Amino acid sequence: MIDEARAEIQAAEDARALQDVRVRWLGKKGRITLELKGLATLDPDARREAGREINVVKQQVEALVEARKEELARLELARALAAERVDVTLPAAQGSSGGVHLLTKVTNRLLDVFASLGYEVVTGPELETDHYNFEALNFPPEHPARDEQDTFWTEDGRLLRTHTSPMQVRYMETHEPPFKVVVPGKVFRNEAVDATHEAQFHQLEALVVGERITMADLRGAIQEMADALFGEGTRTRLQPSFFPFVEPGAEFAIWWTHPKTGREEWLELGGCGMVHPNVFKAAGYENVTGFAFGFGIERLAMVPYGVPDIRWFYQSDLRVLRQFRGAL
Amino acid sequence: MNVPLSLLRQFVDPLPEPAELADLLAGLGLAVEAVHDQPGIPAGVIAAEIVEAEPIEGSDHLTRTVVDDGKTRRTVVCGAPNARVGVRTALALPGTHLPAIGMTVESRSVMGVESDGMLCSAKELGVYDDARGIVEYGLDVVPGARLDEAWPADVILELELTPNRADAFSLLGVARDVAAKLGQPLHDPSEAAPRGDEQGDDGLTVSLADEEGCPRLVLQRIDDVHVAPSPLWLQRHLALLGLRPRNNVVDVTNYVTFALGQPSHAYDARVLHEGHLHVRRAHADEAVELLDGETYALHERDLVIATDDASGASKAIGLAGVMGGLHDSVRDDTTTVALEVAYFNPVTVRVTAKRHGLHTDAHVRFERGVDPELQPRAAAYAASLIADVAGGTVHPATTHAGSGLTRPSIRFRPSRVAFLMAFDVPLDAQQRYLEALGCTVQLNGDDDWTVTPPTWRFDLTIEEDLVEEVARLHGYEHIGSTRPDMTFTPPRSDPTHRALRDELAAAGLHETIHYVFTGDAELARARAPEARVRLANPQGIERACLRTALYPGLLNAAVTNRGAPALALFEVGRVFLEPERERLAILQSGAVERSGWRPDVPMDVWRLKGLLSELAERRNVAFAFEPATAEEAPMLHPGVAARVVWDGKPIGFAGRLHPEVAAAYELGEVYLAEIDLPLAARRLTVQDVARQPYAERDVAIVAPRDVTYETLAHLARGAAGDRLDTLFAFDVYQGPPLAEEERSVALRLRWRDAERALRDEEVDEDLANVIRAVETAGYRIRQ
Repeated sequence: MIDEARAEIQAAEDARALQDVRVRWLGKKGRITLELKGLATLDPDARREAGREINVVKQQVEALVEARKEELARLELARALAAERVDVTLPAAQGSSGGVHLLTKVTNRLLDVFASLGYEVVTGPELETDHYNFEALNFPPEHPARDEQDTFWTEDGRLLRTHTSPMQVRYMETHEPPFKVVVPGKVFRNEAVDATHEAQFHQLEALVVGERITMADLRGAIQEMADALFGEGTRTRLQPSFFPFVEPGAEFAIWWTHPKTGREEWLELGGCGMVHPNVFKAAGYENVTGFAFGFGIERLAMVPYGVPDIRWFYQSDLRVLRQFRGAL
Repeated sequence: MNVPLSLLRQFVDPLPEPAELADLLAGLGLAVEAVHDQPGIPAGVIAAEIVEAEPIEGSDHLTRTVVDDGKTRRTVVCGAPNARVGVRTALALPGTHLPAIGMTVESRSVMGVESDGMLCSAKELGVYDDARGIVEYGLDVVPGARLDEAWPADVILELELTPNRADAFSLLGVARDVAAKLGQPLHDPSEAAPRGDEQGDDGLTVSLADEEGCPRLVLQRIDDVHVAPSPLWLQRHLALLGLRPRNNVVDVTNYVTFALGQPSHAYDARVLHEGHLHVRRAHADEAVELLDGETYALHERDLVIATDDASGASKAIGLAGVMGGLHDSVRDDTTTVALEVAYFNPVTVRVTAKRHGLHTDAHVRFERGVDPELQPRAAAYAASLIADVAGGTVHPATTHAGSGLTRPSIRFRPSRVAFLMAFDVPLDAQQRYLEALGCTVQLNGDDDWTVTPPTWRFDLTIEEDLVEEVARLHGYEHIGSTRPDMTFTPPRSDPTHRALRDELAAAGLHETIHYVFTGDAELARARAPEARVRLANPQGIERACLRTALYPGLLNAAVTNRGAPALALFEVGRVFLEPERERLAILQSGAVERSGWRPDVPMDVWRLKGLLSELAERRNVAFAFEPATAEEAPMLHPGVAARVVWDGKPIGFAGRLHPEVAAAYELGEVYLAEIDLPLAARRLTVQDVARQPYAERDVAIVAPRDVTYETLAHLARGAAGDRLDTLFAFDVYQGPPLAEEERSVALRLRWRDAERALRDEEVDEDLANVIRAVETAGYRIRQ
């Protein structure tokens, strides 16, 4: 009997056929059920004996049905999986993967450095007045220092800021020391445009004012920036220079390995110094000292990342922009 | 400025090796742009004198010369216009290599004439840039002399001077810093020149009508000069300084300009009417013809040098401190020179030079400030040099008008060096540094000095200036590295809109940056607002004004990338609308999703809305698109134009670019948004999540097409009762069997009670209210 049942169960090709087999053997009118019912006519001892045998068969059939059921499910799944197979090497369906501009990335990286040093980030207007861009920064009218900054003037006598330094004055007008701020932003110079000169570019300015800020604090800030950008222990250099709004003034440079040439050299970054007393006077500050430094962002984006032409930054060619997507 | 080492050595000696000297100068704040080797005259070049010169027949410019080379006479063919008898010049013997022109001279036949060598121009010799003719030397150069020995190679440091260091625009000034740093003495050759007698009569007179413009002027007479080419040493000095030798008198004045930083001008005394020279402001309608051959119409604030004409009327002959006149300078036949050495007001000179677009060696020095005490000494030095090189006699008398300027003293606390620089410099060293720079130091008491800067240091006016002087001589390498000792907690803010940029980048957009400059035509083409701010000195008409919107930049970016199948760009920047404001602009076109082998998902206005809506959701503010009028957004398709309402306030526009504008840029279907920054945000308050099931009912409303979804939604929301949880459109249909003007908007409404499950009757009642409201409003329900 069990062999007969096994053959029928194995022959069931799907869940429905298996169910039919099950009913045929184990249902209310199934063969095994009927066999069990038929036992009623036997004497108790024979009945016990026969009942045990039939129950063994019943359990075997049930187990066979279960096993076949699982097998069928497995087969079914395998069929479905095979049917749903796709070619994963076909091209992706995707939107564009965007990215922030390389200049923004470099700026962000610098802002991260200064944020970790406890600086506040502020921004200011690009259309400025002579007062904020020059006078309050100790550039007297008709001073040759103004020639260093080829200025775009507006018809009504205002100007496009030539540096981010006007924000020094604006910030000091509305805040009390001590403070540490950085100012990123666009600046403008009326210069002939070529691969390394743009009429519009970006600067980052730092200003720290307190009761007793020193030139060593300035050097320290530049050193920490250099360490963060180029690795711990990067050499920095300050050399005397002149900017009307600082005294003493300096230029600063960072010793680095040029990524293209592999040569170690000084990367001249920008100007710095102790805030000139006339600037404090214009802001109404007394008995404080401070330092300021500023530098161009483009240079820090071009040289390390091999951008050959500054004009690329503003041409918005997707083929270039796409390359800016990844991490720095 | 060029600083040739051999010339600098005349002021301070010995000097370190060139590379070390360059570092030393840079460490002093005199930035060295470049160090280069300046070759001398090549070996094989000797001096020769032309003794015969005849044009070669059949040539329009060649001359057959016979030259005396000190031993013999040889024939040389020469193409220079100044190949004439009597000229002493440079002869490159056959076999001589001239590296400047990459040529080896050989004997050869030119138009049938044997040419045995080559007469050379300065350019061919490689000593300075002048190829107009062969070099002309003075009588000091003897035929046969080896010129390579007389004109050796040198090393030149090119300095880029900052505008404060007026004093360093001279060999003397640079040498002074070097000497101070090295602790060596400074040799000033002008100190030895004998001064003229100011009481004596030299037949010259000066009047200064404008003491502000010209506080001091010295006029020195030199008689019996013989104008000729300068001696070789002086020609070499000028060449090394980057100047062209002209004649012995002019060369001396140019050399003194660079040696001492004092420009001067040599007049032929004959042009000074009755020996009188005066300085005054120009008259209206006055003009002057200057050395460059141009005639300049003068302004009443221009300072001029003048003399009287034959009629006794004052006539300008030069632009003070900028350029001399064409007719007043020394000529070949000049015998008496009147040398003008003046101090002119820096601002006066600067304004005049700027006004006339002139840039001269004299003006850059005057506008920064010449030492106002230098004139008598410089005049004596220049006169003695002229007498040396031009054979003249310096008149014992000198004419001196006006007086010098003194510099106010500065109270100086030596302790301020340590205070500002955070390194110590011993008191005696501080005093030594200041004195070496020319300051007078008076020690009043403990930490109380009175320092009087020298007259040539216009830049030293306050205590901090002196701190810098001490610090730079001591060396900035002593500056340590510390952290400011202060307590400051920066406020949290994101003024650079970094989070926004990152969100847009993550949403697949590329950030772009464009010019703030634009042109009227561009703004008109893009239908952006008219320019409010115009530049007075733009870089062309296309950059003549400041942008009033960001999206024209993005449209141009789209033009740049016209071939791209999809574009998703944004820019965060400032527009100049008075007041200037910050904006975000977005441009999207083409497919938002692409594989190539499946249908593209095209960009449309709802995706644009979705992008902005997500920004709003992250900022917990209400967000809506309202239909925008053509006046509000003329650059948009009138049927696909929205006003962006953010937290209840209109902040900009969004929609599809107007097909006419798109056509003007030759673009297809483009979607744009431009909104004001910063984007308002609200603080998040966490709400309990819904724990009860919702009950849902649908209702399709048929209304005229111009009734917006938002109107219908508002209507339904208002009637659906307090328990309405959400409402949204799940189908929008127009077409048969609806009338032409009609549209069906199917809304799905979900109600929920926070505490319990709702009964069907309750929800049905709310739905009935919605249907009633819809019908009351004149619309119908689609069954």
